[in-house]
Amino acid sequence: MFGWLISSPSLGLLFLVILFPVFWALFTSVHDYTLIAPNFDTFNGLDNYMKAAGDPEFRHTLRLTAFFVAAVVILEFALGFLIALMLHTVERFKSVYYAILLCPLLMNPVIVGLIWRMFLHPSLGIVNYLLSLVGIEPVNWLGSTKVALWTLVMVDIWHQVSFMIVLLLAGLSALPREPYEAARVDGASIFRSFWHITLPLMWPVIAVTLLIRLIFAVKTYDLIYIMTRGGPGVATDLVSYFIYRTAFVSLNIGEASAMSAILLAVILGLTAWLHRYMRSLT
Amino acid sequence: MLKKWMLAATLVTGLSGPAFAETVNLLMEGVPDTEYVKTLLPEFKQATGIDVNLEVVNYAEMHTKLVPQLVAPTGSYSAIVVDFYWVGEFTKAGWLQPLDERIKADNFDTSVYVPKMIDLVGRVDGTTYMLPFYNYAMGLLYRKDLLADEKNKADFKAKYGFDLDVPKTWDEYLKQVEFFTKDGINGVVNQGLRPDPIAMEWSNYLFANGGEYHDDNWKPTLNTEAGVKAVEQYATNVNKFGPVGSASFSFDEAFNVMAQGKAYSYITYNFFRAGIDDASKSAVVGKVEIMPVPGTEAGKGGSLNGAWGWAIPKSSPNPDAAWTFLKWVESPEIAKKRALQGGSPTRSDVFDDPDVNAKYPYAKALKEMLLTSHNFPVFTYTPQLVEVLGRELSLAVAGEKKAPDALAAIEAEMSELAKKDGKLK
Amino acid sequence: MASISLSNIHKLYPNGYAAVRDVSLDIRDGEFMILLGPSGCGKSTTLRMIAGLETISAGDLHIGGARVNDVDPADRDVAIVFQNYALYPHMTVADNLSFGLRLRNVERRIIEGRVATIAGMLGIGDLLARKPAQLSGGQRQRVALGRALVREPKAFLLDEPLSNLDAKLRASMRTELIKLHRTLGTTIVHVTHDQVEAMTMGERICIMKDGVIVQVGAPMEVYRNPVNTFVAGFLASPPMNLLHGMLDSDRISIGDVVLPLPQSLRRAFASHAGRKVIVGLRPEDFHLKADAAPVAAPIEVVSVTTEVLGPEVILVGTLKNSSAELHIRCPRDFRSEPGAMTVFNYDLSQLQLFDIETTTALMRPVKI
Repeated sequence: MFGWLISSPSLGLLFLVILFPVFWALFTSVHDYTLIAPNFDTFNGLDNYMKAAGDPEFRHTLRLTAFFVAAVVILEFALGFLIALMLHTVERFKSVYYAILLCPLLMNPVIVGLIWRMFLHPSLGIVNYLLSLVGIEPVNWLGSTKVALWTLVMVDIWHQVSFMIVLLLAGLSALPREPYEAARVDGASIFRSFWHITLPLMWPVIAVTLLIRLIFAVKTYDLIYIMTRGGPGVATDLVSYFIYRTAFVSLNIGEASAMSAILLAVILGLTAWLHRYMRSLT
Repeated sequence: MLKKWMLAATLVTGLSGPAFAETVNLLMEGVPDTEYVKTLLPEFKQATGIDVNLEVVNYAEMHTKLVPQLVAPTGSYSAIVVDFYWVGEFTKAGWLQPLDERIKADNFDTSVYVPKMIDLVGRVDGTTYMLPFYNYAMGLLYRKDLLADEKNKADFKAKYGFDLDVPKTWDEYLKQVEFFTKDGINGVVNQGLRPDPIAMEWSNYLFANGGEYHDDNWKPTLNTEAGVKAVEQYATNVNKFGPVGSASFSFDEAFNVMAQGKAYSYITYNFFRAGIDDASKSAVVGKVEIMPVPGTEAGKGGSLNGAWGWAIPKSSPNPDAAWTFLKWVESPEIAKKRALQGGSPTRSDVFDDPDVNAKYPYAKALKEMLLTSHNFPVFTYTPQLVEVLGRELSLAVAGEKKAPDALAAIEAEMSELAKKDGKLK
Repeated sequence: MASISLSNIHKLYPNGYAAVRDVSLDIRDGEFMILLGPSGCGKSTTLRMIAGLETISAGDLHIGGARVNDVDPADRDVAIVFQNYALYPHMTVADNLSFGLRLRNVERRIIEGRVATIAGMLGIGDLLARKPAQLSGGQRQRVALGRALVREPKAFLLDEPLSNLDAKLRASMRTELIKLHRTLGTTIVHVTHDQVEAMTMGERICIMKDGVIVQVGAPMEVYRNPVNTFVAGFLASPPMNLLHGMLDSDRISIGDVVLPLPQSLRRAFASHAGRKVIVGLRPEDFHLKADAAPVAAPIEVVSVTTEVLGPEVILVGTLKNSSAELHIRCPRDFRSEPGAMTVFNYDLSQLQLFDIETTTALMRPVKI
């Protein structure tokens, strides 16, 4: 009872800033609520959901987002873990590396997008210029349907990989040292002690890191808005940007809420699955 | 007790505020024309004693900032600027105050405005909601130095059988695009980014081929010979005659290519004409001129019109002061002063003013551009139409859809939107 | 099974700190060697150098006759048991035990057999499916030990393996380790700061301080003949009483107390006569009965307090007119009120003298 009393202010705050908007969105999603007629006069049940589910564009953005999320999470994890392992053994200038690595992470995604748009300008950008110095033809980074999504994946990696590094590094430094020494004496090579000790001990940290990154990756919006607007064609039309357009261009808040609710359900399902899978590993 | 006291204090300051220091709050986009208004604000204060509080944000933020204030019973903006995009939405939602009574009471002359401006950002279904602020019709930027080159002239004549000169028709222009794609220069640079850059630019192609978006009954007329040609020409220009990556360019990136002297031509907003002569941004100062986008025959233009209008929202806290400001900023003297700084006029008298023409020789071209321009469909769902255009055109440029298929898709969605809006029966 | 030989081993850290200096020690094949010393004396570092977990800055290390300075820990074929056990937290007991063998690609059948044998030997057979977090401290200790045993290495290196156990468990593990050593006959190097462990378990004790070896010898040898006051004060509990005194040709005075120097010692100490010395008196060499020792001298002790331990009573007291405290082992029925005076007979044959400056023992006949 006393515990409830003490935690009530923060619970109240949580309710206000998290639960209330979620409920509001769910409520909106079953109404014909648009910015032109912002009212809850018309209850339309699951219409918004049916419309969203039947919209090939929405389904396309969902598939594309799944691919994008898988690509960035897997690549960022692999790269991030590698760098974290390397940094873990570094003893000098650790803080310098930290500072350098954290720079991109601290940058606003809008700035990141703008900078990379500049770097990747096909004829005036520095990236193609540098490539031309080694004799590589200019790459159509954002203008080709085959390349654009991978360009975004690359920029996202540049921007977000530090997140993985920092979290995984924290996990690594919290690992006990003794089992490694025991393993050395037991005869484990560096690779095998990574495989048999580091990896299993890191599972909880890895699970959390992957999960957080995954959820954030699903929400990727700024990069798309700044760099491609979903183009060329529909090659980079991620779901968050699509929902944004439904809400603020089509002004159809009801349908956008329904899409968000579908997305929320997918993320929740994924989270639950990943959580259980990771638990089964440890 | 404290609450009551604070409430009283708020009331007192709120009520007494207008009595001694009226303030007009404005939300505007960070563009050159806004800067020109800013420089003149002290004159307004001197003339009327009213302060102006100008909030300047970039385009992407404007809509999101405006809507909550417009929906509220009393918002924070006294007056706003409205892109022609939003006119349908804002008027349909009933967010703007009609200005007709004020215009009549003060004998404000609206007949001096170019009629196309009034159609676009002035009157909607017979009611005046806005005063045209500045226009951003699109024009053709081209390299006059390349046109004047004797060798080019000779080569062009030999290849196409007619003289190389400022293009009189759209077909002539397309031949020039092909011709000038040589020596490390591209015949054209396009702004192929979704949604508005490509949709706006492509509209010029549509009009230049003699096409229009819809007939008088709002039935879409895009999947026509003109429409298909426009899509195919656009895709060819991007993929064959344009620089690598122009399918993803926004207007600033495309402008940079032009300003670096890497392209012969670029169809873009009129305000870039001033920028191309800015030596800090441009390597081709004095070598570029602007003209109306040529049409199917000489004298017919293919330019897309565009403009911003001044309006007073229903939620304005002080509409009278806002009207005072609108009257002042759109008065002949102030409109001329803005134009002399480089502003883009909407009034005929300013366009024809000798001082303005003396300072900006291309003012005449700008006026012609405006007069021969075509308007984009303005209705409640304009932004959505732009979104659909952007998606389908981008798909066509990427080669993932054939021109007729893309146009058919646009027509289908456009019909639906027009029906939803009650325009199409 | 192998001997371990350290010759002039040094360990220098990059910051200039010398953790181990010029350590030379020969551990015989099958010997139970104790490295004893206070924390920071370099004993653990020495052990880790033998295991290969620390590099050797200078000197030579031989295991089984081969120089192994640059040999990977995995290839030295020694097993180490860590103070905090260092079990693999994510593996079951069975996996913990078999990990080393699996890494060495030993046949599965053999692994299972050995794990079963060792688990049976250590009484952890029913814990094989558990994870370390589900074990008690003593059980973890056994698993850690088992992990070392199962590999059948040339030598066991034990790094304070008993210090995390409670007193009772520690005592029983001590016995078990001794039995184990007797059964296996494998060389064991055991690091500890506990002198009881050192005295009871080791065949030899190597006492270290500040990175150098102070004394090496069998437990009783080190106990009887400490080379300096450090060793004298470190071994046994309560340790040797060390008091400032004055040496004359025929007697030693400690404040007002005068002890006659036995004839047999007079010659040995003659050269030091007239000098101040530190007098070492073991608590167990004080007797209540006058005839308990052949050459004894009476000492009057004023009681400060008594610690009744059960099997014996420790009297903490002072000499007459002196503030220097000393501990005396008394029979279990001994009682004394604070301030009361008791006369003890000190067994002069056990007298130890140390140089007051160098703190090293003054030469003394080994047998009297």
